[in-house]
Amino acid sequence: MKSYRSAFRGLAAIFLSVCSCFASRAEDPLRPVSTTWSVSAGSSHIADTYLTPLKYSGWSASIGYNRLQVLPWQNADSWVSRLGISGDIDRALNPAGNATMWGAEFHASWGAMRRWKITDKIFAGVGPALRIEAGCLYNQRNSNNPASAKCAATIDAIGFISWSHSIGKCAFTLSYQPSLPVIGAFFSPRYDELYYEIYLGNHGGLAHCAWWGSRFKLDNLIALDIHLGKGSLRLGYDGSVMTSRVNNLTTRMIFHRAVIGYTTSWLSAGAVSSNHAINSSLY
Amino acid sequence: MNTLNHKLSIKYISGLLVLFCMTFFSTGCHDIEDYQDNPRGNFDALWSIIEEHYCFLDEKGLDWDGVYNQYAPKISDKMTREELFSVCADMLSLLKDGHTNLSSPWETSYYRKWWSDYPQNYDARIIEEYYFNFNYRQVGALKYGILPQGNIGYICYPSFATVIGEGNLDYILAYLATCDGLIIDIRDNGGGNMDMVDRIASRFITERITAGFMIHKTGPGKNEFSEPFEYFIDPAPQGRIMWDKPVAILTNRSTFSAANNFVSVMQYIPQVKIVGARTGGGSGMPFSSELPCGWSVRFSACSVLDARGNTTEFGIDPSPGCAVDMDPVDTFNGHDTILDFAINLLCQ
Repeated sequence: MKSYRSAFRGLAAIFLSVCSCFASRAEDPLRPVSTTWSVSAGSSHIADTYLTPLKYSGWSASIGYNRLQVLPWQNADSWVSRLGISGDIDRALNPAGNATMWGAEFHASWGAMRRWKITDKIFAGVGPALRIEAGCLYNQRNSNNPASAKCAATIDAIGFISWSHSIGKCAFTLSYQPSLPVIGAFFSPRYDELYYEIYLGNHGGLAHCAWWGSRFKLDNLIALDIHLGKGSLRLGYDGSVMTSRVNNLTTRMIFHRAVIGYTTSWLSAGAVSSNHAINSSLY
Repeated sequence: MNTLNHKLSIKYISGLLVLFCMTFFSTGCHDIEDYQDNPRGNFDALWSIIEEHYCFLDEKGLDWDGVYNQYAPKISDKMTREELFSVCADMLSLLKDGHTNLSSPWETSYYRKWWSDYPQNYDARIIEEYYFNFNYRQVGALKYGILPQGNIGYICYPSFATVIGEGNLDYILAYLATCDGLIIDIRDNGGGNMDMVDRIASRFITERITAGFMIHKTGPGKNEFSEPFEYFIDPAPQGRIMWDKPVAILTNRSTFSAANNFVSVMQYIPQVKIVGARTGGGSGMPFSSELPCGWSVRFSACSVLDARGNTTEFGIDPSPGCAVDMDPVDTFNGHDTILDFAINLLCQ
């Protein structure tokens, strides 16, 4: 029994010491959370040779949530955490316009960026992120191969560069935020393998290493945040390209979308009442 | 916050610019062949789809390059869409595959000779009228009853595309439980849902059996096939009504696709006999693709072998001594020769 108690005490001590690293002290600067809700719409260009040898084009729409906050680490103002969650829906037609492909995908990523000050108005950052994606393409006209599942778990390189400026009374920040998967794993059915065969238990050759030779993906966000009182109006461009080749199957998904969103920064009520310095994440 | 020195700043910004430009050029990494939407482009696309994906070219002894040489000269830029369709449909008919179709807005091509060159060996009206006097039970598309010509149960399942629930099977088998034998009539059953094969077959086995093997293409090359994947059928869960008495399955040339697969599974169950005519085959699971002009094409891409590794693409023969054709004189007199044979077989 004594050994259990001492083990418990040891674990509690480790837990409290870890917590103390993250706990803000009186002299620590405040770390406001910057959240952005956005919607975007634009064009989609989709090809998946499991479903069809043709390239489809149509529209794409997305809703996204983005959360940025300076991390409570030592040298705290140098690291920013980024959480991104988004859902896409796409509809595209074949070149003849008589077949429809639907796409739906969910993305979630969390990462931390080391940031630097380049000038008083320009900030930049880069770091790693863990991303999970799940979705599928559905071709309405196909019989036994109507859908192609898209799932991936990757470690990404993420970054940003931002420039804050004002013209008259209008203050704004222009930023570019790319995200580039570097390594990970992704799912692909085998060439001409039916999902029925997968359902019956043939799971060989479905999981693949994702690297730039097998699966290249790049997300770009160019955003203009116009600061309006307590929040910011976000206008921008969201571009994404994904191309993969594995199991003799090629997939290509390209999206160009215009973004509109709203960004707010918030602090807990207790924190606002104290006299801390404010350490903002992106601006 | 740390400050980045000038040189590193320039490098960082240049890197981001390069990254952004990659958005527009990186898709060239993985090419997808483009076909033009003209007669030549559509023909080439169709020929390539079959060459790269069709799974029975070797088994059917087809020289697909030779087929190209034979049909490509018939393509001209001035031909109409209907003329192009006709040439393409003719080319596909060489596959002799009931699962292969080319669909345009005005026509879907079919290869019909797999059944039209053979006697039909089935007339549903004879059974409904002369054997049951129209007094049979029906649940969904499935008809069943007890034949007055012997204590034999009769189930007619006209399409595997209609779903039969486990509860339906329980009621049917319980109703027929006092019979000495069971006839399952799947003549003119053109197939449908493979899950129904497992569901029905699971009532006739007491332990896990090998249902068959699947082979799919793993690449566009002629000999790129997967290793055969063995798949199984388990007995229905405890509490379900099972059947362990003799069974006769009635077949004809129009027993095709999933119905053919049902025969390929049931033929190796000891108490089961296959009675009638050779089935129509159709063991290739069909895939879909399309041409630049918007026509869709369906073809066999995944071969399903029986439990002994034999192909059933060309049909399955009746059990030894059970090959029977309908006699026109019997038909005229309101008799189904194949059904009569099965009744006698089960009454022995």
